[in-house]
Amino acid sequence: MTQRRARPLLGTLVEISLPDRAYTALFELGFAAVARVQQRWSRFEPDSEISRFNALAAGESFALQAGSARLLFMASWLHAQSGGLFDISQGSGGWQVTFERLHKLSEHTQLDLGGIAKGWAVDRAIAALKHAGAAWACVNAGGDLRVFGVQPVALHLRDEQRGGVREFGHLESGSFATSQLGARHVSVAAPRCVWADALTKVIAASGDTAHPVLARFQAQAWIHCAP
Amino acid sequence: MRFLPVLTALAVLAPTSAFAVDYLTAEQAARQLFPEAERYEERAWTLDATTLQKLAAMGVSPRSARWTLRLAWRGTELMGVLVADAVIGKFELINYAVAIATDGRVRGLEILSYRESHGHEIRLPAWRRQFVGKAQGAAISVGDDIANISGATLSCSHVTEGVKRIVAVVELARRTGVLT
Repeated sequence: MTQRRARPLLGTLVEISLPDRAYTALFELGFAAVARVQQRWSRFEPDSEISRFNALAAGESFALQAGSARLLFMASWLHAQSGGLFDISQGSGGWQVTFERLHKLSEHTQLDLGGIAKGWAVDRAIAALKHAGAAWACVNAGGDLRVFGVQPVALHLRDEQRGGVREFGHLESGSFATSQLGARHVSVAAPRCVWADALTKVIAASGDTAHPVLARFQAQAWIHCAP
Repeated sequence: MRFLPVLTALAVLAPTSAFAVDYLTAEQAARQLFPEAERYEERAWTLDATTLQKLAAMGVSPRSARWTLRLAWRGTELMGVLVADAVIGKFELINYAVAIATDGRVRGLEILSYRESHGHEIRLPAWRRQFVGKAQGAAISVGDDIANISGATLSCSHVTEGVKRIVAVVELARRTGVLT
């Protein structure tokens, strides 16, 4: 029915599923999109936007690569919408993105997009596959996944107490992401993986599966294992 | 999106998808909205606490203290200023630019990038034209002096809020002499 390929990226295993007759080149397109996100946003990549930012002094700024402002705008927007619960600086200090520049407002500010970039990478891979004409695809980056097309994907959750996995549901044309904060395991389903991924942090921090920001993104949240 | 919990019957929902489109860069928008200008000057402006308070008093959430103003010049005469910005529509980022003449009135609005699957109509001249001539003090609000587009309510209202904010920011820039 489907063929699957996996590759180590983003500090996890990224798996792409495509219909049986899909060209091998499609997989490469998908992985290349993920690799570009890693190169641009990982704090472990010396030339990434994040590494450049973290090396700045207070009050300095630099010109972002074309297209980079987009993810930072989304992160800063969710920071405002969530009352500060979603925070790529993790309280280390101020930063600001203007149209093409990233500003460091305090010398201690360090950014880490670990809470949103995985979902963003999945969205970029899906966009590349869609654009190349794939009729159905599923991209799964270590549990942050998105599927598009009419064929649903079965979701399984790892059972942290008893081991093994349990069936959770089926997802069609949407995204599903899971995060862990302490003993709390949070899943969010949303149309876009970038928001599913980022919203797991808001739900994990607030403990509120009815947080108002969920409705804004047509998202739904579950806490599997309360502390 | 369709999430079906375990043991629920599966139904099929056809997804609609349109591709994201980048239409213009900020530079191209500046040339389009100020065709008579000879040069465009980028000027960074950081609003101080007092100016941010003034902005809030104008009924606009400040959101950002740093703005990049693109000044359009013909010789030594200022034609106006262009501000490029971004807002979240429904799920995706919408990039847009607003041109404001030296009298503080909106000269035009351009959508630079649109990525939502619905609501591409906000690019239509008829919708964007509604903003032309608006200045600080106008309602600039969907359902009031700006018409909604059915199926793209969030895109319309967020771009409209963005235009209102830029009109206020440029008005403050004019009053405080940033544009001279």
